[in-house]
Amino acid sequence: MQKICFNIIYDLLKNKAILGYFILLSMVGWGVFMLESQPEKALLTLLQITLMVLPLITITFTTIYYYNSNEFILLLLAQPIKRGALIIGLYTGISIAFSGAFLLGIGLPLLFYYPGIESISLITSGVLLSLVFTAIALLISTYVSDKARGMGIALITWAFFAFIFDGLLLLFMYQLADYPIEKPVLMLSFLNPVDIARILVIMKTEASAMLGLSGAVFQNFFSGITGSIVSVLVMILWIVGPYLMAHRKFLRKDL
Amino acid sequence: MINIQSLNKNYGKQTVLKDINLSFKSGQSIALIGPNGSGKTTLIKIILGLVIADNGSIYVHEKDIRTGPDYRREIGYMPQMSRFPEQMKVFQLFRLMKDMRPDVPEDKYDLTLYESLKIDKIKNKNLGSLSGGMKQQVSAALAYYFNPSILILDEPTAALDPLSNEILKTKIRESLTQNKLIITTSHILNDLEEICNHVVYLIEGKMTFNESIEALKEKTSENKLNKMVVALLQKK
Repeated sequence: MQKICFNIIYDLLKNKAILGYFILLSMVGWGVFMLESQPEKALLTLLQITLMVLPLITITFTTIYYYNSNEFILLLLAQPIKRGALIIGLYTGISIAFSGAFLLGIGLPLLFYYPGIESISLITSGVLLSLVFTAIALLISTYVSDKARGMGIALITWAFFAFIFDGLLLLFMYQLADYPIEKPVLMLSFLNPVDIARILVIMKTEASAMLGLSGAVFQNFFSGITGSIVSVLVMILWIVGPYLMAHRKFLRKDL
Repeated sequence: MINIQSLNKNYGKQTVLKDINLSFKSGQSIALIGPNGSGKTTLIKIILGLVIADNGSIYVHEKDIRTGPDYRREIGYMPQMSRFPEQMKVFQLFRLMKDMRPDVPEDKYDLTLYESLKIDKIKNKNLGSLSGGMKQQVSAALAYYFNPSILILDEPTAALDPLSNEILKTKIRESLTQNKLIITTSHILNDLEEICNHVVYLIEGKMTFNESIEALKEKTSENKLNKMVVALLQKK
């Protein structure tokens, strides 16, 4: 398994897409802090970018990479290698590459310009999001054998988590504005890993003061240590769930 | 060496293999033939564990293939269309494969095809830039590289030039004398005739006949494999 993992990482490092992703993140990471005099604002800009760009690139790239690795997968599976070891190696390799690019590209400037709890929580969220969307991408690509359809589904999934979900949530809140819906909304936001990441970071910053009255429930829950632990746990569920489904499918798939 | 018992496979509603029972022994060279879409490649892929059968069982060296991937140590596989990671160079491919096969010590490697097909000359080329025939050469060298006791060759000669074709056929004949088991599919029956001593014929996923070439010769009083096949199919 380690050998497969090393080979994937080696292959990804040669890949120009992952290098481009790293360069993009570094430019944004360092650039935002150089342009913005208030580090607090710079952090919020980086948060927005992390929440939009990171899932998009992670999910599309991983899906493409899986389909392009078809030959590699067939080649290895004709050897005495367990399917389980191969899919774990594939997931670990891609995850390490993406989390690494994020840590070096966004994490370094954050720690350099704005060392503190806000930056740590943004870095944690970014790494967790990379792991979540790599797992979701593997889930899509193991279930859908057609490349074009797989890519389409990956993009729709991204759009769903990036803005469609929030739109529906807002609609729900607007319709039921007369009722005390803070708790249900809190629960619902756990259904979206992007929202968990967003809340996790915002609650650590002063921007949370602007959330108003209904924000107080969130504030109470998330700023405490339990809130952080619960949200990290839910994120881990978002990693383990899709990955295990992809793993199961891969073990009994016709290649 | 390979024992297949009541094997079935459907893709959705389409039946690909229906109740296949076969037993292959060492020293046999099997010609697995049949029209397009008769399930030859699927059968091979099931033996390799790349496709999973609906029911039935396969034993390789008395070991059920569902118990783990170790039985594949004994199998060298040359796929129908050799597709490799495009960016990888030929020497990197061999390095990777050696890396994946720590079970075979270096002095056990079978380099004859690697040398006679002159793979060393193209070792710095990208696999993506190789022609179809060159990929097949790499694939053939790789199938033999780890000295397996079973060789599964899916359309090995289709894309090869005449010289490489002869080299491969010589190698196959030679490995027969070493008591290996060889399973070859091809539509070029003239090629098969030279290297096989047993014929398995599939039509629409059903085994139509399974006999040695000697027995077929007697039955049909024909000398050429293609004539034998035609004669047998007309009888049925």
